[in-house]
Amino acid sequence: MHIPDGYLGPQTYVVLDAAIIPLWAIAGSRVKKALRTKQVPLLALAAAFSFVIMMFNVPVVGGSTGHAVGAVLIAILLGPWAAAIAVSIALVIQALVFGDGGITAIGANCINMAIIMPFVGFYLYRLVAGDRPGSGRRIAAAGIAAYVAMVVASIAAGVEFGIQPLIAHTAAGQALYAPYPLSVAVPTMAIEHLLFFGWVEAFVTMGIVAVLARQDSALLDMKPAAKPLRWLWAGLGLLVMLTPIGVLAPGTAWGEWGAGELKSMLGYVPEGLGRLGGAWTSAIPDYAPGFVRDPLVGYLVAAIVGAALVIAITWLLGRVLARKDPESSSAAPPADTP
Amino acid sequence: MIPALAHIGDSTAVRRGRTRSLARRTADAIGSAISEVLENDRVASLPGLMQGLDPRMKLVSIVLLAVVASFVHSIPMLLALVAATMLLAAASHVSVGSFSRKVWASAGFFGLLLSAPALTAWITPGPVVVTLGPLSITGPGLVVATRLLLRVATGAGFGLLVVWTTRWTDLLRALSAMGLPDLVVATLAMTQKQIVSLLRTVQNMHLARESRMLSSGSARQNRGWVVERMAFVARRSMKTADDVYDAMLARGFSGAMPSLIDLKATGRDGVWLLATVAACTLVLLLDRMVFPL
Repeated sequence: MHIPDGYLGPQTYVVLDAAIIPLWAIAGSRVKKALRTKQVPLLALAAAFSFVIMMFNVPVVGGSTGHAVGAVLIAILLGPWAAAIAVSIALVIQALVFGDGGITAIGANCINMAIIMPFVGFYLYRLVAGDRPGSGRRIAAAGIAAYVAMVVASIAAGVEFGIQPLIAHTAAGQALYAPYPLSVAVPTMAIEHLLFFGWVEAFVTMGIVAVLARQDSALLDMKPAAKPLRWLWAGLGLLVMLTPIGVLAPGTAWGEWGAGELKSMLGYVPEGLGRLGGAWTSAIPDYAPGFVRDPLVGYLVAAIVGAALVIAITWLLGRVLARKDPESSSAAPPADTP
Repeated sequence: MIPALAHIGDSTAVRRGRTRSLARRTADAIGSAISEVLENDRVASLPGLMQGLDPRMKLVSIVLLAVVASFVHSIPMLLALVAATMLLAAASHVSVGSFSRKVWASAGFFGLLLSAPALTAWITPGPVVVTLGPLSITGPGLVVATRLLLRVATGAGFGLLVVWTTRWTDLLRALSAMGLPDLVVATLAMTQKQIVSLLRTVQNMHLARESRMLSSGSARQNRGWVVERMAFVARRSMKTADDVYDAMLARGFSGAMPSLIDLKATGRDGVWLLATVAACTLVLLLDRMVFPL
């Protein structure tokens, strides 16, 4: 997911480089308050750990290996702001010492892996684990958080790649930077992380949390969320409000064609697809509720309904895990310090 | 994944006629990364053009060149910039062969892989140059893919010039002089030292496992071992942070960071910066006026 120089145009990397600076400033101020003079060694070691964890080859399938980023794990251990700084430092060192990841793309890489990943992962972990989790629930929460955070970060990278042909092209329409449209870049990034890298991240995070829960559970004491989950709700609300932007992208996402579209592209509809395509009728087909006429409003309504469903399912999952986990009720109260 | 490790290959690797175990592969990869850090320091000490520059001027000029490269759209000017990275490498006593291999083996290879689909009519429609059914290569596709590949190679080349010709301590001094808070600079400095220390620990873990194992072990066994070792490194990191902090306190650390700035720019640095600005202006003018899109 390390974006090198050349894939993102100035319109994108300047905005992302500018956006990361205030985020670093906020993170620095939060961490300074919480850790005081201890912040230098703790952040340095966390950054070194983040760097080193990327070097462990994890065997996956068929003799192949993958590696984890570790951002969610650091967020669980130190809190999301400290993780944002630690992973950013690891990424900056990778770019400046090892030439991994571009100089102009440092902002984009930090936003994807040092902001989106730890924050999505940390708050999802909090949501699923609750305040006083037992070890089983804690491990499951860590796995879910790491998997989802990895996929969300990869989608963010896919969006950054996918908007390049829209915002930087020649008069003839040729892309000047990353050439793949949103309909190709987002599914490609999402699918490879849904099927492969997300599982590696989840496996590693769960495994380490399981070992730490057994050997040194004090390290896993719950870190206080910034005004419990307030930022998560604010971010979620903002994303939901921005969903109508999706209507602006023309065409259907790659690989998501319906029977009608396939017929116009190929001249026929594959038999199996034609048979199974109509087997399930969704409640809100094409994100367009039947009772809303305006497509923008319909998309917004679909986003609200979808987000509410995901929250409800996650909450229910947390409840089920809490019931199954007898340690939940006897776990220590949350620590005061992050 | 770190580019130095890319050649290690993610699937089962065979070297010198026998399959290497996961532990050996990882230990070798980590050894390469450590060697790379040491080699960077060696090359950065050579008496070359880039090494002799004030690190602030060097950083500003290279960032400027990388930004200008991102604004250049014509293939001849991108080729000129690729050539410029090689000329600067040669003038800095960096082997052009090693430099090109490094740029093309990492950024170039992945650039090629990622730009290949853009060659086809599927992504870039236009007049077909090579007919391959639905994956026919188009003229505009060739231009788009070549431009992307050259731009990536240019960016990687400039980045590598900084990496190879600047000692980490000089880079930190430059960042400090350019206004980065001392606290951040101190954290960056400590991180680099701890990375090398942790890498050595992890390398030793893998070598120890390799020496104890008669076979490579199953994927399941290896997964369990890797995760258990990662947890060990996590605990070790937190413990070392406490130890380092205690040592800092014992030496009278009160939170104040000593300034690292003792840099002096010379006339030569001024000339270099002016030449860079002039070169960037010329490149942009040629790109827009001589090779318009």
